[in-house]
Amino acid sequence: MNRNELSSKKPLNILEKIEESLEKLNDKIEIMIEIQKNENTNNLRSPLQLPDASLDVMTLLSMPDHLRKTAMTICRCTRATAEEIADQTKRARAVESAYLNQLVIMGYLKKERKGRKAYFFIDKESQS
Amino acid sequence: MSKIIAVHSYKGGTGKTLFSVNLAAALAKAGKKVCVFDLDFRAPSLFAILKISNVEFWLNDYLNNTCEVGKTLINLSSRVPGYGKFYACLANPSTEAIRDMSSKDRKWEMRALGRLLALREALLKNQEFDYLFFDTSPGLQYSSINAIVAADYVVVATTGDRSDVDGTKRMLSELYNLFEKKTGLVLNKVLDPSMNAKRTEMQNKIKADYQVPMLGMVPCFCEVLRAEGSLIFVQDKPDHPFTKILTEMARKIENNEIE
Repeated sequence: MNRNELSSKKPLNILEKIEESLEKLNDKIEIMIEIQKNENTNNLRSPLQLPDASLDVMTLLSMPDHLRKTAMTICRCTRATAEEIADQTKRARAVESAYLNQLVIMGYLKKERKGRKAYFFIDKESQS
Repeated sequence: MSKIIAVHSYKGGTGKTLFSVNLAAALAKAGKKVCVFDLDFRAPSLFAILKISNVEFWLNDYLNNTCEVGKTLINLSSRVPGYGKFYACLANPSTEAIRDMSSKDRKWEMRALGRLLALREALLKNQEFDYLFFDTSPGLQYSSINAIVAADYVVVATTGDRSDVDGTKRMLSELYNLFEKKTGLVLNKVLDPSMNAKRTEMQNKIKADYQVPMLGMVPCFCEVLRAEGSLIFVQDKPDHPFTKILTEMARKIENNEIE
């Protein structure tokens, strides 16, 4: 392998590693979401969940940039998979998956599994 | 392509409603199907400007989820004769309605954003509207930011007034930027009568100053003031320079010549 090939391969390797770590992180967040769901049914609020978590525009404004992009996209779609969000934001699916899971943990979104797919949505009804 | 256009400003009296109505009318005259929404729930004015009485359903009702959006649309195409269609959707001006709208909580505002976003499907797609104009209330408040988030393009009206300049700059950098919105600036009430000669120079200065593209520059016309907001100017005064400027702005929007 010549030098050029090496230098082009290296960043790719790093990116693959990052994606791998993200996937692992996502698995852990998924477990947290499950734990949080159980706490909710026992009427306990997890320490990570915000007390008044509604995805309104003032909340969007105060969010960090990376989460705002994801949150705004889900506002437009109302219900979507991480892949559908990634299509629109032009970011990697694993990245969107991590951000969406974070928004679930914070209490802004709900997550629902249908077969192999996970759908994220804004729960407007229970938030009245 | 920009289909939903929010017209916003930092201060009041910068010409938001004038621009919303006349840009929409110019597009209707060019054959488009358009609707102007009055999103200034604290000081509704569209019903008075368009002189409409007997309104059955208001935009308030749609946002409160008590009726379909179709019921709130008022067909005013006869006011702008041509091949296009001109509709309006009004904010309820009664004190009771204003009080009600100003006491909404965050969750209501969140659902209102959802309903504004749903207009894309309901009107642009299903009813084949070409353009929706959101005439907002000035400054940073829920109804205006909801409109900005739901829009594709934001027209920012500003005057050279010192009270307006700083706030407008801050809004451009801190609000529209955060939402990644395409923005065009309209400088209104320009006083310099020799504007034509200095036009390019002035445009460059403003672009450098505000860091956003200009959509247009509108001189202060006494005829516009004298009309006391009671005309659809581009329709009633077709040869007036104001009409020419607004028609050119509408053409830019239509041809997507906005940066």
